[in-house]
Amino acid sequence: MAVNERNIKKEISQKLKDDVLRGALGRFGEAYPVSRAKAYENVEDIEALRDELKAMKVAAVADIEAIADRFEAEAARRGAKVFRAADGPALKKYLLDLCKDKGVKRVVKSKSMASEEIHLNHTLEEAGIHVKETDLGEWIIALAGHTPSHMVMPAIHLNRQQCAEYFSKELNEEIPPDIPFMVQTARKTLREEFLQADMGISGANFGIAENGAIGLVTNEGNARLVTTLPRVHVVIIGYEKLIPTVEDAIPILRSLPRSATAQLATSYVSMISGPTPTLVKQGGKWVEQDKELHIILFDNGRLKAAKDEKFKEIFQCVRCASCLNVCPVYQLVGGHVYGHIYAGGIGAILTAFFNSMGDFEKINELCIGCRKCTTVCPGRINIPGLIEELRVRGVKDHGLPFSLKLLFENVIANRRLFHSLLRTAAIGQKPVQSGRFIRHLPLFLAGMTEGRSLPAVADTPLRDRVRKITKKLASPAKKVAFFSGCNMDFVYPETGESVYKVLQDLNIAVVFPEEQSCCGKPVVGFGDVETTKRIAKRNIEAFEKAGVDYVIAACPSCTETLHVTYPEILADDPEWAERAKAFAAKVREFSQFVCGEYEQAGRLTKKPGATKVTFHDSCHMKRVLNIHEEPRKLLASTGACEVVEMKDCDKCCGMAGAFGIKYSELSAPILKQKIENIKDSGAQVVAVGCPACMMQIGGGLDKQAPDIKVRHVADILADQIKD
Amino acid sequence: MMKKVCENWEQALPAGTFGPHLFGEFETRAKNVSAEVFRVATAAEAQAVLVELAKSLGAKKAVAVDCPLAQSAGAYEALRAAGLEVYTATDDIAAHADTADLGVSGVEFGVAETGSVLQDALAVENRLVSTLPPVHAVFLKSGNIVPAMADAIGAVAKVFDRGYLSFITGPSRTADIERVLTIGVHGPSRFIIIAVDETAGGGAA
Ligand code: SF4
Ligand code: SF4
Repeated sequence: MAVNERNIKKEISQKLKDDVLRGALGRFGEAYPVSRAKAYENVEDIEALRDELKAMKVAAVADIEAIADRFEAEAARRGAKVFRAADGPALKKYLLDLCKDKGVKRVVKSKSMASEEIHLNHTLEEAGIHVKETDLGEWIIALAGHTPSHMVMPAIHLNRQQCAEYFSKELNEEIPPDIPFMVQTARKTLREEFLQADMGISGANFGIAENGAIGLVTNEGNARLVTTLPRVHVVIIGYEKLIPTVEDAIPILRSLPRSATAQLATSYVSMISGPTPTLVKQGGKWVEQDKELHIILFDNGRLKAAKDEKFKEIFQCVRCASCLNVCPVYQLVGGHVYGHIYAGGIGAILTAFFNSMGDFEKINELCIGCRKCTTVCPGRINIPGLIEELRVRGVKDHGLPFSLKLLFENVIANRRLFHSLLRTAAIGQKPVQSGRFIRHLPLFLAGMTEGRSLPAVADTPLRDRVRKITKKLASPAKKVAFFSGCNMDFVYPETGESVYKVLQDLNIAVVFPEEQSCCGKPVVGFGDVETTKRIAKRNIEAFEKAGVDYVIAACPSCTETLHVTYPEILADDPEWAERAKAFAAKVREFSQFVCGEYEQAGRLTKKPGATKVTFHDSCHMKRVLNIHEEPRKLLASTGACEVVEMKDCDKCCGMAGAFGIKYSELSAPILKQKIENIKDSGAQVVAVGCPACMMQIGGGLDKQAPDIKVRHVADILADQIKD
Repeated sequence: MMKKVCENWEQALPAGTFGPHLFGEFETRAKNVSAEVFRVATAAEAQAVLVELAKSLGAKKAVAVDCPLAQSAGAYEALRAAGLEVYTATDDIAAHADTADLGVSGVEFGVAETGSVLQDALAVENRLVSTLPPVHAVFLKSGNIVPAMADAIGAVAKVFDRGYLSFITGPSRTADIERVLTIGVHGPSRFIIIAVDETAGGGAA
């Protein structure tokens, strides 16, 4: 079915009910980080290796035309025929003609995702050619009539019983669900295919320009048979796999097996340059002859990406799938809902380029921007960043859905209206307050969800309280302005008060620029950059007037938006670029700032305390701002806490802006896991540095573990300060 | 003369860094991925290991590619003496590889970091004996071990103009059904490395 006609929400709810899938992905999600870490044990510096791979690929894409020319020339010089296929139809035509020309009746394939991109097998079969996938997982899903649900383990969504059923049906005999037995059965069945095939089609993990070689990284040994036995060998290789020299394969060979399957090396790594000898039976005798080698360089959107300032980054992908393995959304829904062949966040991006933007728009929301994938990707691809960029382009091309457009442009960008609506909400919610929430507000785009209560809008927002809580300091050491963000202003004003208390206790004067409004995160998250620019300018203006040393935010998402996004989106605006930079330079995240101040004041010494507290790392705080030690140090210094760690302390809580509400069926199981980990830690309090996490985790605890409290670090610090 | 990507791999290895001192790490890594490793001092002992292996397998038929270590060990004559059919000619290998119980060949060097060995696979005979039979045994000089994959590719880069090369790391494997590691899919289910200290010429490595 075409992605455009799909009902993603329905598909998601089906996947969530698929116990086989969820069981397999859940177990895998647990096991993968451990085995990956073990595989990298004998790599001295993983980060340096990631840098090396990235640098090599960045250089390659910058020079891709020349590298492709060189690859083609060198391969041709050694006797290979190279064909450049612009798209699926061109590739298929070349291949069908070749089959006809060479009298090819039977084809064996080792894994080639590029061929799956265009449903090549189907075309060959229609032309009367017998085609077999020989990679075990690929063979199984071909028997099942499925598409791969994982780039490395295509059949991870099936269990042994289901596999046995497909085997039995194909072979017309009862095959027991015994894994070694099934593997041996596959060996026997497919061995015949290898021996009889006229043509072998393989993919490639890399292609080397300097000698026209291709590289194959595999475990089963099928690729060696596909490239050895049949008299014709066809390689289908995407442009993104090209590298300049043999030595450029080093970072790939060091990272790919470790990241993909937690191996130091796969069973086989083969490199083939030029036609190699094979043995053909002629007149009852075996005759040695050189194989026919055809290399199809496949474009299908790749070269367009290569020329794109932002999306050339996808050339850094080596298809290891580790981004899927750590992705909290993939872990719940598996690969199929991402459509087509490539799963996960990277799959959504590849799909946009190899298929169409329309396909992307249906699935882009399945990235919650938790950035977990960015910590493991060996090519250092900023997957969530690219997804945001695609959204931005989607909005540029065909605008926002009308309701969002209205909301962003007319409400959020209009502070007075926005804030008066929030105030009205505080009154309007009264009759239904017990957790029930107001519709049509940006923080909470929809209603209640299972397993979580949502907080209410406060009676008195922080902006109406600041006058009362602002202290007159005789000679303040510093002057700062507080950027509260919507959550702290209207939902958690008490936490805003704690921020004031902590800062003033440090003899720091705090001001609250009245004109400040939403940082714009939800707007930019939906790809509406133009409205975000308007919001940014207002906020910058408001804070410039304050004339302070620093701007403090106690929300990591706001901090990121002010510090990173503003200068980025205003970089081309002559009037605003410098102002945005100057403003961004003053922005500090609360716990990091306070940690520095406490340290200087000699207040950071560890003091044991009675309450067990565990810290939840918010995605943006840990992985964008790289702040994770500071809040723990602060907690340990209060004398009130015993800091304990929970499992997966930095795994997303499932809130992720509007996602948590729009896809509440996905958000709920992610939250549930978080609550389980919190319970298991034995903590009485969960400390957070982010008000959105506070809302999500607080709501989950309320329903699932009401004895445990969630508190912002600022609140815990403020508790220890006498009024 | 059998076709090779490089006639003298030793010259391509990183001088000063490769050597038998890395064998221990190589052996550990190779065994970690289920390769079976036998280190012997002399060619004569290598021959005994191979014959013992064939007997324990109950092998009746072997396809084998000539290499200097096998020659100096007289390994294939010994297999024949032990009652096996041993095929070494190209067309015989083509005809019998799929039904042989054992494939034997030589490899060029090992990689300590990963427990891999490099097979110069340009000759189709080498590819057949290492892909089709259920057991593959290789001869390796125990002194030809490079420290890491980077060194191995460095050596390859010096000599690889055209042809076919394979790094082999343990037996064929899959985890495609329920992520359960299963040995021996399309390739051999046992991979045996016979490492010889004595060089083919008779001297010590
Ligand atoms: S940012 Fe998070 S949700 Fe998005 S693809 Fe990466 S891991 Fe998945
Ligand atoms: S994006 Fe990175 S982590 Fe994901 S498959 Fe590609 S290389 Fe691997």
